[in-house]
Amino acid sequence: MSSNRWFATGNYFTSYKEEQRIFFTSLDRSAMVLLILALFLWPLFIQVDNKYMLVIDNILVAVVAVMGLNLVTGFAGLISIGHAAFVGIGAYTIACFGRVLGENHMLLTHAWPLMIVFAGCIGAVFGGIVGLPALRLRHLYLAIATLSFQMIFQWTINFMDFFNQGQTISVTRVAWVTGTVSRSEHYTFWYYAILVAIVLVGFAVRNLLRTRYGRCLVAVRDNDRAADAMGMHPGFTKVYAFALAGFFAGVAGALHAYLYRGVGIESFTLSHSISFLAMAIVGGLGTLHGAFWGPLAIKILDLQVEQLSEWVGNHLTFATNLATALKPLSFGLVIVLFLMFEPRGIANWWRIVRSYVKLWPFRY
Amino acid sequence: MNMNNKIKWMFLVVAVFMVTLPVHTFAAGKVYKLGLSLAITGPTSDAGNPYAKGVEDYFNFVNDTKMLGEDKIDCTIRDDQYNNDITKRNFEDFMSQGIVFYLNYSTGSTLALKKDFEEEKIAVIPASFHAGNLIDSNYIFLPIASYSAQAIGLAEYIVNNHKGGTPKVALFIHPSAFGRGPVEDVQKAVSAGLKMEIIEVVEHGKDLDNTAMLQRLLSKGVQYVISQTVQSPVATMLKDAAGLGLAAKTFGEAGKLTFLGCHYTGGNDLVALAGPAADNFYWTTSYIITNEPSAGATAQLDLAKKYNRDEKAANSHNYANGMMVAQVATEVIKRAKAKGKEINKANLYEEMLAMNGDKAFSPGTTVGPVTYSKTDHAGVDSLQLYVVKDGAFKSAGTPFIPVYTGKIK
Amino acid sequence: MSYFFQLVVSGIVVGSIYALSALGFVLIYKSSRVLNIAHGQIIAAGAFITYALTVMVGIPIYFSFFISMVITFFLAMSVERIFLRRLIGEPIISVIMVTIGLMSIIDGLIYLTPFGTENFSFPSFLPTTPISVGGVSISWTQMVGVLVTFAMIGGFTWFFKKSTIGISMRAVSDDQLAAMSIGISVPRVFGLAWAMAGLSAAAAGGILGNITGINFDTLHSFGIVVFPVVILGGLDSILGAVVAGIIMGLIQQFASGYLDGNWGLSGTGEIMPYVILLVILLFKPHGLFGIHEIERV
Repeated sequence: MSSNRWFATGNYFTSYKEEQRIFFTSLDRSAMVLLILALFLWPLFIQVDNKYMLVIDNILVAVVAVMGLNLVTGFAGLISIGHAAFVGIGAYTIACFGRVLGENHMLLTHAWPLMIVFAGCIGAVFGGIVGLPALRLRHLYLAIATLSFQMIFQWTINFMDFFNQGQTISVTRVAWVTGTVSRSEHYTFWYYAILVAIVLVGFAVRNLLRTRYGRCLVAVRDNDRAADAMGMHPGFTKVYAFALAGFFAGVAGALHAYLYRGVGIESFTLSHSISFLAMAIVGGLGTLHGAFWGPLAIKILDLQVEQLSEWVGNHLTFATNLATALKPLSFGLVIVLFLMFEPRGIANWWRIVRSYVKLWPFRY
Repeated sequence: MNMNNKIKWMFLVVAVFMVTLPVHTFAAGKVYKLGLSLAITGPTSDAGNPYAKGVEDYFNFVNDTKMLGEDKIDCTIRDDQYNNDITKRNFEDFMSQGIVFYLNYSTGSTLALKKDFEEEKIAVIPASFHAGNLIDSNYIFLPIASYSAQAIGLAEYIVNNHKGGTPKVALFIHPSAFGRGPVEDVQKAVSAGLKMEIIEVVEHGKDLDNTAMLQRLLSKGVQYVISQTVQSPVATMLKDAAGLGLAAKTFGEAGKLTFLGCHYTGGNDLVALAGPAADNFYWTTSYIITNEPSAGATAQLDLAKKYNRDEKAANSHNYANGMMVAQVATEVIKRAKAKGKEINKANLYEEMLAMNGDKAFSPGTTVGPVTYSKTDHAGVDSLQLYVVKDGAFKSAGTPFIPVYTGKIK
Repeated sequence: MSYFFQLVVSGIVVGSIYALSALGFVLIYKSSRVLNIAHGQIIAAGAFITYALTVMVGIPIYFSFFISMVITFFLAMSVERIFLRRLIGEPIISVIMVTIGLMSIIDGLIYLTPFGTENFSFPSFLPTTPISVGGVSISWTQMVGVLVTFAMIGGFTWFFKKSTIGISMRAVSDDQLAAMSIGISVPRVFGLAWAMAGLSAAAAGGILGNITGINFDTLHSFGIVVFPVVILGGLDSILGAVVAGIIMGLIQQFASGYLDGNWGLSGTGEIMPYVILLVILLFKPHGLFGIHEIERV
């Protein structure tokens, strides 16, 4: 036990129980409480444009999705190139209810938190099904199975009348204690809704990793034969990792549907799957907070490059091609540079900063 | 290791730069803000690119020639990579900048944002002529006749010019809302008395070879194929048909296939992709083409020349397309200004609705006048048929208005 | 009946073009176990280079076809040298993601040229009347495509069977450590594998460009289209790529020939490969000809 409950310069664990605490010091806990408070309170004091509120909401939705991807790819080591399809499953669950029950049915307008959880469950079911080949497949072949699922999902939505053949199916505005959420409140309202979801799933993941089921994932990633020998079932663990990822994706999809007030296939294509993977990698695979850094970095990069290319387009009229080429170029460069020079992602920078601060003013 | 450190520093510098890059704001004054979000990169960028150039050049022209006096139009053009989520973000951004008129692009995003347009009460001209855009919508205005009207126009042309019996037709469409839009309406026209038979509706994929499809169609007695998609698949199909000797040399040649297509299937891009196989392809749109001299063509070429556009962009029908929506937007602003009204969303919407009768607007880049009213949200109603002869589109006949579009309403 | 044979012939034609496009994947995977997602972009680049040489420089198309193969040979080699050499030994996901990043970078570079957004077509250099036997016809472009495919595949097969470099490449794919111990330079083999993949991609690009016209969207999507082919054939088998390519071509043609237009189905040709792929993955995870690595604990 560290003598100081607020500052600890090192680990003084004497039992496994201590090592598994969520917060190692009281300082950590207070910082987290403050951070969450700040996240909840800032919209009361700072007014931002709808655009930026939408961007923030969008980042948060991506955080939920990437957390799921991080579980399956980062912790369990299974590459999924079809994550956007699982997100789509969640979104289309909401849309299906709208199609069957009518857009303004009570379930959708009033019981929306329930619907979001339900969408997550449907996502989990599909995740489990797609994960089934994991019982037999390994490595790349599994990645290809997820790619196939992505393609089949897109095709199904695109060709079935029930799904409006991929055209936007509109989603209603929800009701809250103050009445129907209006256009002006929409983005702020969903900011809070998504934030609550993130806090819940964030702690869920943190706690999961403290249990044997969470450690199972890591064990199977690191060496599935050893894990097998120790009594874990690698096949089952992989299926369950996929199901979990599907759940997170489903929740993210439902949030996306409500946030954008519509579900269309164009939001859940292969390129979205790829950008989820990019976010997971830039953030840092196999770390919890990596799921926050990744979406933040990629989306902000996207926005800034957009501004930069607009500036380039305005000032160097001959270089319009350059302006349009900047986006894919920067996206690709960021991924490649990270993989080449910082494969552990932004999470690693955070780790370095933390360990520096922890020991300050002393150094190694 | 040292190298790695250096690169890390570079990383950091770039990161700081990216985060702190200032948001650019423009000086206030009598500036009317407009917004355009479209695909300059990504899918369909071959159409979006010249379209963006047309819009940009025309608004520059308006400002440079002081068409609105001292007032200026500031139209922000954003790339959305054919991604609805980005379109929505752009739209929200434009709204907070206080735009008075909005230009949109794809069918998907127009449908996705329909409700937002209603709530914001802002007039919108998309580059998608999907008839479904207008359902449950008061604020979306199609620049020209819808895809449905175009397909029906082509069908009527087939019926009028076919010799012997009921013509058998197949539809070759893009697997999306954009492609499927006109299918139902053409079917309606047939059941409303248009004497032709729809044998099959083919949704194409990324086919390398259409031999099977073409032969199947022929064996079922199909003589005409109406396409509603983008150029590339049509080009592949035309090349296959030409390679197999299945393409008709004249309109309606017996035992062969005659190919026809709506706005986005044609233009110089098709000739560029299909080469000589494009010969005898029939294409309909409401825009003029630069192959044939007209006031509009001269205006288009002059504009492109003034802003140093290359040959390809200057002669693109999508350049005309972009130029025309900019013309309409400028025109409503001009009219509202002439009446001394304040330039805002509501007044511009009113001016759009009033654009009919003797107030119809002739931009020159189209084959007919632009008319809008409370019930008519499709701009140019007349269509022109073009056909490829010796590697270039030539007009066939005079502009016409499809009869059955009215009958199926 | 002639409809049936037509479908068979078209299936084989399309299939062999798939096989040629898939060849690049297999070459890279065989030696370095990397799945190259950016392959479609390299195919597109090959087509653009061929076009640029033919039309803008004015070299006869037969020569420009070969020159562009040489150019992409070196381009792909330098891509490997710059981006992938450092990642030898990194986890497989990193390497896949690098190729995804590469895909975006090449996209960006291509948008810098007119090819990114404009459409072109090769000048026609083959007779336009098709070869027709008993109601079954095949166009000259396709015929040439098939011939080039089989020539290339034959060449590669010979190369791997007989030439010293080819044998050393096979040695590397078999066992890297053992190969190193007898003096084979593994990085050089990787570079060469990429270079040859680039070469085959340029050939595929040239042929595809002749069939579909030169449109960036259409061309680069073939990188994804041929995925089922490589998986079906087994990621590391050239023969597998050929057989699977032809099987996929046939399945596509039969699906769109017999399923489409009936029972309200359409576009089945596009999805059938993936459905069959999933089924095959369940029963024969390593594809038809892939090496089944038996792991003993």
